[in-house]
Amino acid sequence: MKRYLLIYRECIKVAFATASTYRLNFFLNSVIMLLGDILFPLVTILIYGSGAGFEGWTIYEVLLIQSVFTMSMAIADMSFHGIMWATMFAVREGNFEMVLLMPVDTMFLLMAKTFSIDGIGLLFGGIAIFIISLINLTAPTLIMWLQFVAMFVVGMMVMLGISLIMAATSFKWVGNSRIPEIFDSLRSFGKYPQSIFPKTVLIVSSYVLPVAMIGFFPAAALLGRGGYVMFYAILPCVLFMTLGILLYRSMVRLYQGVGG
Amino acid sequence: MNYIRHQFNIMRAVALVTYKEWSAYRTHTMVSIFVGPVYFIVQYFIWTAAYGGKSEINGMSLTQMVTYFGASTLIGYLTMDFADWNLQMLIRTGKFLTFAMRPINHRFFAFSQKVGHRFLGLMFEFVPCYIIFTLLFGVNMVPKHLGWTLLSVALAFLMNFYVHYILGMTAFWFIQSSGIRRVFDLLAGVFSGVFIPLVFFPEAMQKFLFFLPFPYMSYVPAMVFTGGFKLGGVTMSIPLIVGLQGVAVVMVIGLCSLIYRASMRHFSGVGA
Repeated sequence: MKRYLLIYRECIKVAFATASTYRLNFFLNSVIMLLGDILFPLVTILIYGSGAGFEGWTIYEVLLIQSVFTMSMAIADMSFHGIMWATMFAVREGNFEMVLLMPVDTMFLLMAKTFSIDGIGLLFGGIAIFIISLINLTAPTLIMWLQFVAMFVVGMMVMLGISLIMAATSFKWVGNSRIPEIFDSLRSFGKYPQSIFPKTVLIVSSYVLPVAMIGFFPAAALLGRGGYVMFYAILPCVLFMTLGILLYRSMVRLYQGVGG
Repeated sequence: MNYIRHQFNIMRAVALVTYKEWSAYRTHTMVSIFVGPVYFIVQYFIWTAAYGGKSEINGMSLTQMVTYFGASTLIGYLTMDFADWNLQMLIRTGKFLTFAMRPINHRFFAFSQKVGHRFLGLMFEFVPCYIIFTLLFGVNMVPKHLGWTLLSVALAFLMNFYVHYILGMTAFWFIQSSGIRRVFDLLAGVFSGVFIPLVFFPEAMQKFLFFLPFPYMSYVPAMVFTGGFKLGGVTMSIPLIVGLQGVAVVMVIGLCSLIYRASMRHFSGVGA
């Protein structure tokens, strides 16, 4: 365990060193993520600004959902989302064997090696919108906060599951850089109040491909609007992450290469 | 006349090769058949909920809004561009030198590539998604003015290419320009009306947008498709806005030519 922590620390150091080499690029990437973060809820602000809105949801409640979603995305981007690109690149180039030769767990190594601080702007932006939204809403109780933290962690499990399924897909669908677009499009169902979707979509986004856990359920817990549905959704989320891990590991086992 | 025929032959040859090259990765292109309709469904639910019982928001009915997003998605498949990525990659890796030595203008070569690549988009993105939108979702995707829509889409095609090419040329000075490109892509996403129609922005901002290239890349052709154009409180006839789009394209082509000359003077290579 200690060895793995040391490896992770080294990888973080390398990520910082890389960012400092291309300073302008890092600065622009961080700014763009921050701006993107501000512009994403802009659509919500413009909809509510025009006098329209989602029935039963105030603007700050919707912004809270979107800020939670953004924070989840940022943490995933920084910590484990890179495994998809690293796997895709290694498989396409035919040098995945080089990773397999290392005396550490392949999945861990690829996640650690792709640690990126580019998502820091996104995280700060998400936190800022989260705080602004909370200031304009009724203060949550301690139980609500605890539920929020639990749901947020479960949401991160869904994000991990998605990243691993994408990475596993890249073993078979070699070099398709558009795989993330497929999952991004599905994830967009988790950015909005689930009441705007029909029941069929609701069941899929809560229990089958539980993207509602990324943004909606944690925010709903904080607003005291989650109900029992969000607790029922925990098990599918854990299963989803497990599926991702098992699928990735089985694809690694099936990988065949001839030496880069 | 011979010169034009010669140039056309070059374009046809490059476009055909690009088409064949990318056809090998057609599933890459065909991802849009899933992604486009999914995003469209999300937009449909968002706007259906946002309209509630309202008949109009900012002068647009729900039907017009749904058609707008459908048109915007489909037009995106025809005009999509990544000349900036390609050019900055060639510059960063030093491969641009091989183009500088060829008896063909790289900008024209890149444009011809785009023609071939987008023809593939027409076959594997536009047509399947058009069928899905029309037959599966029941959206009326017939443009109100077919001729003007085609012209406006053609101008958006040019605008997208030249703007992205200008962006790619920043790599002659910065080498690594992915940050700049991402900034631009974000601004273009918002101010070209891909995320939300521009009539939702504050009126002063809408007026300012007339002087930027973004609306002419997606918003104008999508609105021409729906049959009406309004921005910044100004309602324009379709021929007038398409004419204005034409003027904007000519100005961007002129700017691109100036920067291209400056880039060629600035560029130096030592073998790739």
